[in-house]
Amino acid sequence: MHEMSIAGSVIDAVRREVPKHPGAHVSKVGLRLGEWAGVDTESLRFCLEVLTKGTDLEPLDLDIDFRPRATDLDIAYLELEESDGTDCDREKGPE
Amino acid sequence: MERIAIEKKVLSENDRIAQSLRKRFEESGLLVLNCISAPGSGKTSLLERTLEAFPHDMRVAVLTGDIQTDNDARRLARFGFPVRQITTAGACHLDARMVEKALEGWDLGQLDLLIIENVGNLVCPTSYDLGEHAKIVILSVTEGDDKPLKYPGAFRKSGLMVLNKIDLLPHVSFDIEAAKANARTIHPGLEILETSCTTKAGLDGWFGWIEHKLRPAEVKA
Repeated sequence: MHEMSIAGSVIDAVRREVPKHPGAHVSKVGLRLGEWAGVDTESLRFCLEVLTKGTDLEPLDLDIDFRPRATDLDIAYLELEESDGTDCDREKGPE
Repeated sequence: MERIAIEKKVLSENDRIAQSLRKRFEESGLLVLNCISAPGSGKTSLLERTLEAFPHDMRVAVLTGDIQTDNDARRLARFGFPVRQITTAGACHLDARMVEKALEGWDLGQLDLLIIENVGNLVCPTSYDLGEHAKIVILSVTEGDDKPLKYPGAFRKSGLMVLNKIDLLPHVSFDIEAAKANARTIHPGLEILETSCTTKAGLDGWFGWIEHKLRPAEVKA
């Protein structure tokens, strides 16, 4: 039910991380998700897809580490790929 | 390709606000309870019986959340204590920012107890820390006794389960012992109380529970 706001929070967290890695593109986000977190994984995937569609974050792959009998709702990692230079933020340039 | 560890809660922004609220609550010596349940389990009725029983000089306030209408705030305001409605306009839960905004203008130092009635929903409110000292899950006997197994998050994260509407037990197939066992499968240390807002059975236990929680905060000048 609240997967859209969870997805929004995931994207906010990704966007806070992006400026630290100029020239890179976030390709995957790894979540740790407890069985008791009250989050439906398929619905979360759908919401992330909707929120990233047509943005610079598309396509954003989602890797879910599902934990039984737990309430975790964490971002474990991000995977970055070097941008091919066609869509990087040239103003900021490399570090 | 490079993998970088983040290790942050998805709701870290909510948690940040909740932590700052918790700090304010603690500095003000204010006990905050977050009541969570399915719609229709009797949260508002329980709060009505609670406010009704409090002495008039009790320093208590209530925030009540709903998707639409201020019906609950109007029901609860009759007892003369400060009450504010949070209308979420669609959101199925309260978050810390909504609580922070709703508290604007209240002098927390003049309060000992703040009760937050969350939006009726056993799933989403569980994920959002509001800076409270305890979550309370209310389960009525007109629901299923297997609800703790179906909605484990709410029962796992709550310190107290209130089994409400026990006056209706003779009329429903709810197995109260099974409900307790199911809840303790999810959360072995869960405290459990039984209440009826119609006959007032068990309400003394509920008031006693609040009083016990309030005691450490009583050292306030």
